[in-house]
Amino acid sequence: MKLNILIASIVLILFGLFWAIPLYALIIGSVKSLADAIESPLLDLPKELDMGAIVRAFNLLINAIINTAAVTIPASFVAVLLGSLAAFAIYLRSGPIADYVPPLIAITTYIPYQALIVPLISLIRQIETIFKLPLYDTLHGLFMVFLIYFTPMATLLMFIFMNNLPREIIEAALTDGMKPLVVYRRVALPLLSPGFVATLIFILIQMWNNFFIPLSMTRGYEKHVTLKTFGYVGEMGTIYNEMFAAAAISSLPPLLIFLFLGKYFVRGLLTFTGGGR
Amino acid sequence: MVLKLKTFFLLAFPVFVFVIILWYGIGWNIYLSMTSYSMYNPRYDFVWLKTYNELFSDKDFINTIKITFTWAVLLVLFGNFIGLLIAVSIFQFENAKIRSLLTSYFVYPLAIPLVASGVIWRWLFDSVKGFNVYLSRIGVFKADWLSGWNALWSLIGVSVWIYGGFIALLYLAAFYNVPRDIIDSALVDGADAFTLMVKVVIPQSKLGLLLGTIFSLLFALQMFDLPYTILFTNPFTMTMVMYMYNKFAYMIVNISAAACTFLIAVSAMIVIPYATYGIRKWILKVI
Repeated sequence: MKLNILIASIVLILFGLFWAIPLYALIIGSVKSLADAIESPLLDLPKELDMGAIVRAFNLLINAIINTAAVTIPASFVAVLLGSLAAFAIYLRSGPIADYVPPLIAITTYIPYQALIVPLISLIRQIETIFKLPLYDTLHGLFMVFLIYFTPMATLLMFIFMNNLPREIIEAALTDGMKPLVVYRRVALPLLSPGFVATLIFILIQMWNNFFIPLSMTRGYEKHVTLKTFGYVGEMGTIYNEMFAAAAISSLPPLLIFLFLGKYFVRGLLTFTGGGR
Repeated sequence: MVLKLKTFFLLAFPVFVFVIILWYGIGWNIYLSMTSYSMYNPRYDFVWLKTYNELFSDKDFINTIKITFTWAVLLVLFGNFIGLLIAVSIFQFENAKIRSLLTSYFVYPLAIPLVASGVIWRWLFDSVKGFNVYLSRIGVFKADWLSGWNALWSLIGVSVWIYGGFIALLYLAAFYNVPRDIIDSALVDGADAFTLMVKVVIPQSKLGLLLGTIFSLLFALQMFDLPYTILFTNPFTMTMVMYMYNKFAYMIVNISAAACTFLIAVSAMIVIPYATYGIRKWILKVI
């Protein structure tokens, strides 16, 4: 073996072991029995496999999981769809107006989104009183706020993906007299599908993992899976097996997506930082 | 200019609405921070910079600034160092499959909710059941991971675990963009792997350092979920976002808005040059 590979392997194994500790603790912690969790420290192997904690945590989390899926899956899809339409429009209409739009979108994407929560919630409150439509502490209100926050980010990502497309094909289709929406659906979208999937997965994981928005937009812990996991910590006190089971269950959907479609997530992540390949 | 102005606005309309709402939010923060509005005084009396005077004479806020900036600096230093180390190590393998597998492995903390990471690390730092058990078994010191300022150092360590793989990814992306013929000619000249990395590949990858630094800073400025889950509102790990959230939760809205404005101003100093530079890059496709 070459020396550089040897050294690289040692470095990666050392860091890799450290990176594995939390995941390992999470998995074995959630299959420990109550007695085991009271007695044994975190990283000791369980004496016996006990699914009790997972079952109990699942029963308590299932409502929050359904709520989260019902909000984040459609919200991420709509965000990417609207974002890709806007990106398509900006891409085709270069000129004074269109050129100023991407920086304006980029700034809202990269500043700490939490700093806009106060005005956003008071806006939500105003809409409630004007339209007599409850939004605060509702799932559709949460959907709306997710959409407001993440559609600009989706637009930015789709805009970057779109800039890597061959311009001639799309412009040729437009000059052939096809309607813009038809060009979008028949020409741009098929070419963009890897970017579309990458953006969708990136945004979906961002929404699923988000804690701050549901914390500010809802009361109690039922409406989002991260909130419910957080609430669990307060309830359970010093017994870690059930807490870990809750954390494992809430991490499982994004982790599974990452496991099978990690390539797209990584691409989304790189594009989020500004157009790496 | 192929698209009619009307079609352009129609297609982009929802996004424009959302972006306008977010910009309205920035403006609203600035306006509100100059009023006396709070739950205890629900009137929009214009007081100019008095709110900021109040904000910056609050010891708690000064503390959150110090904590956030310490966090930012240390995350930039350790994140870049460890990210670079991991990236260089992964780059030694020629096989693309091994490379992407290893990269994904180190990025995984970013795919799970920060709240879940918080739960795990809270217990790993536990004095009775966590790391301490194993450290004392092999005869090393026991540490109070979460008491006093130790809490801040521990949580900064956790944030390096979360973002280190991501920074490695940025470096790797930069490494892959180093033209192959430059690497080949260095190899023909007899450069060994170490010289190749230090003299050729790393100097060509300044973009990795730039992006790693920018995003470490932005992530540190946004830090909320992790300290909030692990230690709730512990004064030693109170970040700027947490301060702002607390004031908002207690309905001291003008102070919260002033803290938001300050946070936005600090981030804008990083974001605006980056965003304008980035746009130029994406459109002209030059790095």
